Amino acid sequence: MKTWHDIATDGGSDVAGQVAVQADRLAERLSDIRYIVAVMSGKGGVGKSTVAVNLAAALARNGARIGLVDGDINGPSLGRMTGVQATTPPQRTGGAVSPPETTLGVRVMSMALFLRDETTPVTWDAPSQSGGAAWRGLREAGALRELIADTAWGALDMLLVDLPPGSDRLPTLADVAPRIDAAVVVTIPSAVALDVVGRSVRMIQQHLDVSSLGLVENMASHACPHCGQADPLYPPGRTDRLARTLDVPVLARIPFDPVLGMAADEGHSYVYEHPDRPAACAFTELADQLKLLLDAS
Amino acid sequence: MKFLCVECDEAMSLAETRGPDRGSMTVIFGCPVCGRQTAMLTNASETQVVRSLGVKIGGQAVSAEPMEGIRTGLAASSVGVSGPGAEGGASKCPFTGMVNEAFVRSDMPWTEGARQRMENIPASARGMVMQSVERYAEAEGLAEVTETVLDRARSGMGM
Ligand SMILES: Nc1ncnc2c1ncn2[C@@H]1O[C@H](COP(=O)(O)OP(=O)(O)O)[C@@H](O)[C@H]1O
Ligand SMILES: [Mg+2]
Ligand SMILES: [Zn+2]
Repeated sequence: MKTWHDIATDGGSDVAGQVAVQADRLAERLSDIRYIVAVMSGKGGVGKSTVAVNLAAALARNGARIGLVDGDINGPSLGRMTGVQATTPPQRTGGAVSPPETTLGVRVMSMALFLRDETTPVTWDAPSQSGGAAWRGLREAGALRELIADTAWGALDMLLVDLPPGSDRLPTLADVAPRIDAAVVVTIPSAVALDVVGRSVRMIQQHLDVSSLGLVENMASHACPHCGQADPLYPPGRTDRLARTLDVPVLARIPFDPVLGMAADEGHSYVYEHPDRPAACAFTELADQLKLLLDAS
Repeated sequence: MKFLCVECDEAMSLAETRGPDRGSMTVIFGCPVCGRQTAMLTNASETQVVRSLGVKIGGQAVSAEPMEGIRTGLAASSVGVSGPGAEGGASKCPFTGMVNEAFVRSDMPWTEGARQRMENIPASARGMVMQSVERYAEAEGLAEVTETVLDRARSGMGM
């Protein structure tokens, strides 16, 4: 009796063929993109989105063509942080959706652009929401694939993908993107965050084909609003110790700056409006280090 | 998933899909040699897994629209004003008999009687008929599809 492998088709649905078409479309859309870089962390709330937005701005300020995808399907925040949420809904041109742009010309795509308002949760249509564990992840991966593949990016020097917390998120991106050229891993210097980040980096090193990896240390210090002097918030040296253990570089250290948090809330470009503040300089440093890392690999 | 006619040792091919009926689908396969048919009945969560893959049981005749999974997958309560990439309102695909298509969403309520009468229409055409009835009702400024509306739509559209 024949087995699954003896039969070429699946009787007309061609599920495999349809999945291949999805992959082809993605590869085609990404062929004009030089580097695909994930901004991630095992941990939540450590500043991934802040780093993604300001890294994008720092690169764009130097003339690079940058795209920014909000990979956080359920908790999108880039719409607000980049200020594009307030603009008109994205328009369709040909077979793709045109991304809105920030003042610095960063092209942004986020689930937030498609939701009713700021409090609307992402709910997928289903006969019942219970039992969703079996399929919700598929929906989210599909949505991420569409946000990347169905956006009219044009030619880009770099596409940054801001991922939600969890060490399982980069593998999901790896499933839907044809390649990941680098991962920027954000941490704060708390032992709690560093543990989780260490596990995620190890997982990438062991299981994924990501050629470049680097850490960003966020909120290690607080810049005094009066004298500008950096004041440590955690015992120093912890992030460097982890970096040595994992054999990955620390690309930049971003101090805590309340002005940065406010800019994110208001959708203003911090890097553009406050280029001389220490955190803005740190983002420029991050942009330079990331370019070096990518060019070296 | 594939289906094999054990007697003929021949792969069966897709004959027809019906549903959704409270989330479940009926997918009929036939043996091209002996003609024997078999129906696969999916439960609601099995149907949902296939929908969530962004593929369609019965195959995709036309390549997917941009952001189609997001647009057709989001619950009505989540969708923003225009929806992703929609050109003048929610777009509805022209083909029928496929899972995602079968779930095409509409705000227009149907009375139980009107819904029942749709059961007499072959599943492959049902989605399209329901859409045109809704468009007719909308154009007439009606808020609900009743059996009377069906009758009027039928004479109005020459059905
Ligand atoms: N260096 C910083 N200085 C001031 N506020 C910061 C800094 N980094 C992050 N934040 C604030 O912390 C909160 C969480 O940051 P966010 O980038 O959303 O984290 P994540 O994406 O990792 O969940 C945001 O309100 C953000 O504005
Ligand atoms: Mg975030
Ligand atoms: Zn047979």
